[in-house]
Formats: sequence, structure tokens, C-alpha cells
Amino acid sequence: MRALVTGGSAGLGRALCDALLDDGFDVISVDREAPSQKTEAKHIACDLSDRMTVDNLLDKLEADEAFDVVIFNAGISATGKFEDIEPEDHLRVFETNASAPMVCCAGLIKAGKIAEEGHIVFVASLSHFTGYPGASSYAASKDALAIYAKSILKPLKNKHKISVTTAFPGPLKTEHAARHAPSEADQERRMQPEEAARLILADMRKRKAKSLPGGTTALLAMAGQLAPKPLTFAMKQIIYKKLDRTVAD
Amino acid sequence: MIRRKILITGGTTGIGLALANRLSVRHDVIVTGSRAHEDITEAFSPNLVYVRASQSDPARAVKTIAQQLLKHEWPRLDNVVLNAGVGFAVEDGLDEVAKMRRTLDINVSSTMLIARAMYPWLSKTKGTLTIIGSVAHKGHKRFPSYAASKGALNGLARSLRSEWAGEVAVQVLHPGPVKTGMHEKAGLNPGWVSEFFIRTEPMARMIEYSMSSRRSPITLSWSRYIGGGSITGRRL
Repeated sequence: MRALVTGGSAGLGRALCDALLDDGFDVISVDREAPSQKTEAKHIACDLSDRMTVDNLLDKLEADEAFDVVIFNAGISATGKFEDIEPEDHLRVFETNASAPMVCCAGLIKAGKIAEEGHIVFVASLSHFTGYPGASSYAASKDALAIYAKSILKPLKNKHKISVTTAFPGPLKTEHAARHAPSEADQERRMQPEEAARLILADMRKRKAKSLPGGTTALLAMAGQLAPKPLTFAMKQIIYKKLDRTVAD
Repeated sequence: MIRRKILITGGTTGIGLALANRLSVRHDVIVTGSRAHEDITEAFSPNLVYVRASQSDPARAVKTIAQQLLKHEWPRLDNVVLNAGVGFAVEDGLDEVAKMRRTLDINVSSTMLIARAMYPWLSKTKGTLTIIGSVAHKGHKRFPSYAASKGALNGLARSLRSEWAGEVAVQVLHPGPVKTGMHEKAGLNPGWVSEFFIRTEPMARMIEYSMSSRRSPITLSWSRYIGGGSITGRRL
């Protein structure tokens, strides 16, 4: 059994790699940085914001064996006032979070590199339900991914028997999330990436279309669908008004 | 009535052109498009100022638009309508890589960067930024990348509206199918269903009325049309 995880060097990606390794998968991790700890996963260095590099990656993967599980998890962010964030940073966020996974997904399936009965997971964000003032390009990129996943779900299921699961994790206890949160934000209440990885993989195995890891996440997603405007207003009060700096990955 | 300064992207065909022609009767309108001026065969009002700025290169499109606004000595804008967009139909949920990137560049990346660049122009007048989405923003199996791009615009508008509240009114409008030839260009023949598509002129009226309401999000569908959405509303 072979698995591909993008952004597998740290945070949720690393937790997903570890869980898959425990289940006996051969894991390939695609990340611009080398893994932060020793791991059995094979690392391919690739900056997903660079189209040429993504094309090379696809060529490489298309020459290799098919995957049973493919998880598009890699994501970067740019937080601050939309007009203060550099245009290149907005573009890099959208390329990495939306264009690259969409292109790689279509490319791998066309080349027959996702096995029949296989699984695809797209890691979107809880911001799909709540909005995210202070990271508008990030929110846009994650919405693109969620809607892409929803659009291809039926065609892939009917034609290739491949299941598509979209995960909407809330804030996790990772270095990346801490860097983009207001400095005064409480890190302790966040979910551990290992816990989120376990829940997402369980939903993937059940071939669920949506994965909302954790009770709070599910509750917030529901609230965001019932009352989208108050939720976005709350996000503005909790995050945007407290952002004290501009941060881009 | 104030004579407004208005920028409309993708204003050489379809609903962008219908809106531009309509608004140019009472306002000053600059439209952008990807074609050379002499290649525009549609009825193009002589009041319109044309700027050629293809959105397939986001950074260049932004630069050209900003330069042209300065050249025409427009230091402020009352309305910006980010309307330019393309889409491609697919059979089995799988787009071609080049077409996916083209769709996302034109529909999302350029829209995002132009919105950002227009902030100083719009904030001077506490103006309105109107982003044209689509009813496909919730997902569409025949147009996966197009739907994703419109989903992105919906999310962008939602968060940006909150960020810019009190400075610039950001709104997203989701038109239903319109008789513009976009479906044929996208590689899909809608057949008899197209009899029920809304014509460009009433759609342009619905857009104008939505712009003056400054609300968001607004779905400009058949049911809104039947309910009188194209004949009741406030003009800009």
C-alpha cells in the first residue's frame, strides 16, 4: 500500500505520515523543507508555489507506481491586512493551497496513478464555514479547494471508484498556526495534530465526503452555515482586530 | 445625481459589456479586456474608455490598469466591477492542467490582485467593489475548476467585506446562466435549456441594482428575475 502526503514535514502533515506509517503504508512526503524529525517516510523536496517544480514533480510521480491514498495537505498562509500583504505572497498562497493540489490531483488521475478504490483527501479549513478576515487570500484558496473537491466527487466515484474526502480542521497546535495567530491567542485549547490526523483518516476510510475533526469544529461549521454573517463578525473580533503584524510563509 | 467613475474588467463581451454600455450613459466608465480594440466587434459604446489588460498574467494586468487610471487622471473610483472570467467544460471531472491554471489565473489571482491594488482608489470615495461570482460557486461537476474559482471569489468577498467594512463595501454577486455565448465557448451546448437563460440586458440591470444596494452575497438567478429583480431597484 502506497500513500502520498503533501506538506508532510511538520504539523498535521507529519502526523498524517506517522499514522499511515503505523498502518503499514509506504509513505512519500512532498515538502519544500526536509522532515523536522527522523521518519520512515520518503521525502521529495518540492516548492508547490512554483509551477515548473510542480510539473517536474508530476512527471516523477507519473513514472512511478500508483497510490492508494493521496492527501493534499500542504498549505501556507499570509495573515494581516489584505492591502498590506505583498501581491507575491497572495499569489504564493493561492498557488500552493489551491492550484497545485488541483493540478496534481487531475494529473495523477489522468495518468492512472491513483488506484481504483483509492482515497483522496483535500485538507481545506474550517474557514470555509466561518470566513477568515485577516487571511482573505488563504480563505479564498481553501474555498477553491473545498469546492473543487465537491465538484469532482461524483465523477471520480462513478468512473474510478475513488473516494474524495474534504477535511475542515480548525486551529491546531502547530508552529505554523501559532505564527499566524495574534500573539495573545491561547494556544492551549487547540487540537493536537495527531488527534486531527486520526479523525481525518477514520473519515477517509469510511469514504465520507466531509471530515470535521472534533466536536468544536463540527459545532462551529454548523453555526457558520446557519448564521454566516455573525460568525464572520466574530472571527473579525477574535482575529483581525488583534492581528498586530503581517506574516507570510 | 453624481457622475460616477467606474472600472469594469472583462467589459468587451457578455454581461460585462452590457453593464458597461448601460452605465456609460450616465457615468464615466473604463473597461478592460484581453483583445485589441479593433477586434471588438460587439456594440461598444463610444463613451467607454478601453484598456487592454489580459488577466492571464495577474501581475501585468494590475500594473497596466493602475498605469492607465493614472494616465487618464482618475485618482479615485466609485465602483469597481471585477467581472472578467473564463470557464471550460469537462466530461469526467478532469480538467487539462493548462486550462485549470488559466481559469484560476484569470478568475481568481488577477481578481485578487486588482482588488488589492484598487483599495486606495476606492477608499477615497468609500466606494463599492463588486465581484462577479456564479451560481456554480457551490460546486459543479461539469466545470470543476470554474466552480472552484467562483467558490474562491465567494470566500474572498466574504472575508474582505469584513476586513474593509466602513471603508470599501465589498460584495459578491452570483449570476445564474446568461445568454452570453460563454457556455458555447466553454465547450458545452446547453440545448433547449438555454431558452430559459436570462438575457444580458436584464442581467446588467439586476447587477446595477445590486451594486447600488451594496449588499452581499446576492444570487441573480431566474427566480430573482421572475420576482422582478430586473425592473425594481435603485439605479446607480
